[in-house]
Amino acid sequence: MKTNFFFSKLLSVLLTLFGISIFVFVVLRVIPGDTITGTLGTDTGVLSPEQIDVLKQYYGIDKSLFGQYTSWMGSFLKGDLGFSFTTGLSVAKLTQSSLAVTAELAILGTVLGVIMGIAVGMFSARKPGSVRDFAGQLFGLLALAIPGFVLSTTIVAVMANKFHYFPNGLEYMTPWRNPWMNFQQMMFPALVLGIAVAAPVMRTTRSALLETVDKDFVRTAHGKGVPARRVQFKHVLRNSLIPIVTMTGIQFGYLLGGAVIVEKIFALPGMGRQVLDAINHREYATVQSSVMIFAILFVTINLVTDLIYRQIDPRIK
Amino acid sequence: MAIHLIALKGALVRITKKIAFSALATALVAGLMIAQPAKAATDLTIGTVLDIDKLDPHTSTNFETIRDLGLVYGSLVEVGSGNVIHPGLASSWVFSNGGKTLTLKLRSGVKFHDGTAFDSADVKATLERILNTATGAVARSNVSTIASIATPTPSQVVLTLSVPNVPILAALDGVNVAMLSSDDIAAGKVGGTNKPNGTGPYKFVSWTAGQQVKLSANTSYWKGAPTIPNITIRVIPNEASILAALNAGTIQFAAITDPLIIKQVGKNLNVIKTPALQYYALQFNTKVAPLNDVNVRLAIQCAIDRNEFVTTALLGQGAISGPITSPAFKSDTSARPCPTVDLAKSKAYLAAAGKTSLTFKVLVTSNGWATSQAMAQNLKAQLAKANITMELDITDQATYVPRWLAADFVATLANNGGRIDPDTMYTRYFTSTGNLNKVATYSSATLDANFLLGKSSGLKAVRTKAYDAITKELEDNAVWVWLATPYEYRVTSKNLRNFTLLATGSYLPLRDAKLS
Amino acid sequence: MTSRVKEKSWLHYYLRSTSGVIGAILVFLMVLLSLIAAFKLYPHDPVLQDIENTLKGPSGKYWFGTDQFGRDIFSRCLDGMRRSMIVSIFSVAIATVVGVTLGILGGYFGRWFDSVVVRMSDVIFAFPAILLALAIVNSLGNSWIDTSLAIAVVYTPIFIRVARGPVLSTKEMDYVKSARILGFSSPRILVSHILPNVLAPIVVQIALSLSWAILTESGLSFLGLGTQPPNASLGLMVSDAQALAAFAWWTLAFPSLFITIAVVGLNLVGDGLRDSLDPARRNS
Repeated sequence: MKTNFFFSKLLSVLLTLFGISIFVFVVLRVIPGDTITGTLGTDTGVLSPEQIDVLKQYYGIDKSLFGQYTSWMGSFLKGDLGFSFTTGLSVAKLTQSSLAVTAELAILGTVLGVIMGIAVGMFSARKPGSVRDFAGQLFGLLALAIPGFVLSTTIVAVMANKFHYFPNGLEYMTPWRNPWMNFQQMMFPALVLGIAVAAPVMRTTRSALLETVDKDFVRTAHGKGVPARRVQFKHVLRNSLIPIVTMTGIQFGYLLGGAVIVEKIFALPGMGRQVLDAINHREYATVQSSVMIFAILFVTINLVTDLIYRQIDPRIK
Repeated sequence: MAIHLIALKGALVRITKKIAFSALATALVAGLMIAQPAKAATDLTIGTVLDIDKLDPHTSTNFETIRDLGLVYGSLVEVGSGNVIHPGLASSWVFSNGGKTLTLKLRSGVKFHDGTAFDSADVKATLERILNTATGAVARSNVSTIASIATPTPSQVVLTLSVPNVPILAALDGVNVAMLSSDDIAAGKVGGTNKPNGTGPYKFVSWTAGQQVKLSANTSYWKGAPTIPNITIRVIPNEASILAALNAGTIQFAAITDPLIIKQVGKNLNVIKTPALQYYALQFNTKVAPLNDVNVRLAIQCAIDRNEFVTTALLGQGAISGPITSPAFKSDTSARPCPTVDLAKSKAYLAAAGKTSLTFKVLVTSNGWATSQAMAQNLKAQLAKANITMELDITDQATYVPRWLAADFVATLANNGGRIDPDTMYTRYFTSTGNLNKVATYSSATLDANFLLGKSSGLKAVRTKAYDAITKELEDNAVWVWLATPYEYRVTSKNLRNFTLLATGSYLPLRDAKLS
Repeated sequence: MTSRVKEKSWLHYYLRSTSGVIGAILVFLMVLLSLIAAFKLYPHDPVLQDIENTLKGPSGKYWFGTDQFGRDIFSRCLDGMRRSMIVSIFSVAIATVVGVTLGILGGYFGRWFDSVVVRMSDVIFAFPAILLALAIVNSLGNSWIDTSLAIAVVYTPIFIRVARGPVLSTKEMDYVKSARILGFSSPRILVSHILPNVLAPIVVQIALSLSWAILTESGLSFLGLGTQPPNASLGLMVSDAQALAAFAWWTLAFPSLFITIAVVGLNLVGDGLRDSLDPARRNS
């Protein structure tokens, strides 16, 4: 029974990925422009038709659409993600470093967000209806409502222009090369993303905690001398873990794709920028392969959170 | 009792945690403020919005690629101070045979970064590479009049042209005609991932895609070793963030294009500016209604207040211009049907076209340059006063380009590059055989004749006459509405000295600059 | 047997929820402001440029100050709110109708149709929203309709999921099974048995999606893919304010405030609806 389930899940994942590959391929061909106009801009006009033919061959866009798809898919399945002409690197190499940056950002943002969310949620729920509760809830709402790009530009305006502190203006350092500089460069962008994650986490934590106040087992434990807080905390963990885990899975996925604006403002060389730049240059292989990598990750994360979900909550079968 | 002790213990733990947390936080913040990495005070870091996109100078069009490679490669002539042509890798030259032969004498003692000597064989190989269609060189159409290349001695090159072509000298300046080593060309070691090997003031060290380019001084540079030992060009994809980095001191030099950002530069930085060669124009598709009627076009031209355009859309940071922006042959902006806005005349032209109002669509790029949308909106508001409705069709740059190339527009707001010489600037657009004539949508026998005259005569007086005639025909027919030229801006730290900004925006003058 | 106890309506429970009430007030305010804009009752024309008065702070004439073209920010905020509301309502409406229909039909009829629906929904879900928006805007155009379509496509999978879940559990219930055995037609079962169970989570999701749609529209405008100038859009105003905020705080503050009010209001309404429609939560 278990293997049947696993295989059917695997098949559905593969079908989804296949659908995505077709979708991204088609979407890119529908948008006006091609790799030549994307890289040369208006100067494409000075090229003679022979020169354009040469370039078409060079970029691999002289083949039929079907030919282009099979050639790309064929290489992709063998591990060759294609070549990025505007960076002179293979897409695999490019994605390696940019994905590391975005993943680090997403993880930091998620962790920060979960910690902030749980902390504020607990703070809020301790005295429901009080001023603290109101303040906590206001934080939750504002965290949700203020767009990330507003927060980012405000931070840059204040920190860099007023305090002359802008670590993101220096060479980007990976955590292996210079952990301290890397931390400084990730700090603000992770904070911005974390605030967006904190909002739903905070509200879930708060309502989960409020639910427990009335429960019998809390009263029993309290009567036995166990501090209410410890029981609450354990209960929060168990009950809110489910929605938090599911939410984290989705958030993480969105963070991977949605960090574009933050990456742009804080000059982080991540996946978001890579895909956006490649779209602007109409670098088909880079966009297609990057989207596939992103989709594979997203689908995998969802699968994993799904499995964790089933483990935690025995009601789902 | 036990409960009280537990509560007390809990309180103590809470207080300790709070103190520890605050202490940590304070230490962290203090540490951050102080911990700015030290670097050699004489090295220069440049901030740029765009990364370079390739290492082959002959096929680059991205302006940052051109600027960066301009420090690594050299060309036969250079556009220098006064925006005139100076000797570069060619120390002197002479035209003969009625402008059909160009003999160049090469500078002696020049070496490539790999130590090999530069000589006429390299020039021949380079020019042949550019002329070869398989290369995809963007300068090919500029030098296509070269019929043959002879190298009688290692320091002499003789170009035989198919037609007299004096402006070809201007076409021999720049990164797109950078001199490459014949060995590199033969071995196929140009572009791709091959390290650039040039004759320029700086050697190429590394390129971390999406992040930075590193260069180091070429101590055997023919003009003398540059003072600044190392240059890093760092990608910061947002001009507001670039200004932040300048303020924080992490970069010392940057090109800024948005006048709104320039407005925010404080007294702690230097702003250097110079009128640029590039220009803004409202291009018309003269083959399509309603703009196929010259009266309609003149009506639009007369309804535009260029002064207000510069003041509002460019925040005053620009100059009204005519078609030709090349300093030696600059168009007279008062010699046009409506040098200043004239709504009465506009109305009259509309009436001559049999209309009392007009609607037309303009293709605009949303992110091609910083002020594109501001310009479009300003023009729209201005034309509304003359009963002319300008509908905006806004797309992103990558979508704009193919439509522009296919002339898939009724009108478009364009930012086109200018040149030192009007021939290389406009033959591609307004001669009937020009590659971009399809985009310009206008040509005539008189224009063709005048361009030929300008090309073949070496006499300034004759050339000036020809280009003035061209300007007159273009303006009288309102083929396009030429609006203004912006400024090239560089924002630098106060300790950068000896840097002159050229109209081409080249980084080359950094070879003489220093950081004190 | 009719019950003697009258069931209190959802409205009763909604009004007992503080957040719901505050949210409703904020949303009512938003709608009012949008209507003012819809009837063009703003103090100045949102696209009229006043070149003499660019970037002036709040004053008697221009309550929220002016932007770089001298346009009245207050009027532009009103018009931007109207546009954000139209785009979010239109996009969520499409996403709801399409998503709920597909979700219900897929969940009820099952088999290959359901697989296809789930597959399509996953594909869109895993696709970067920006690329999707770019593609749609580039191939169709960039009027408010096209922007709404782009946002609708991105949010349809959520509605498919929200609708499908309850359908899967409801259709196994006895009263539904007996209705089928009794020969009731599928449409009748769908409408009278399935739909009521699905309604509550969908209504809540609508409120939430409306708030997300406003953020997405402003994000797209920020990237240049949403509302096109010179039309006023809250996201576009914030995007322009990036370069202006340092010396003209009003260009950033007021549009951000409007976005925040809209999103906060809709979220609170979503909370209120969740509290009042879910029987398990009614007494919390």
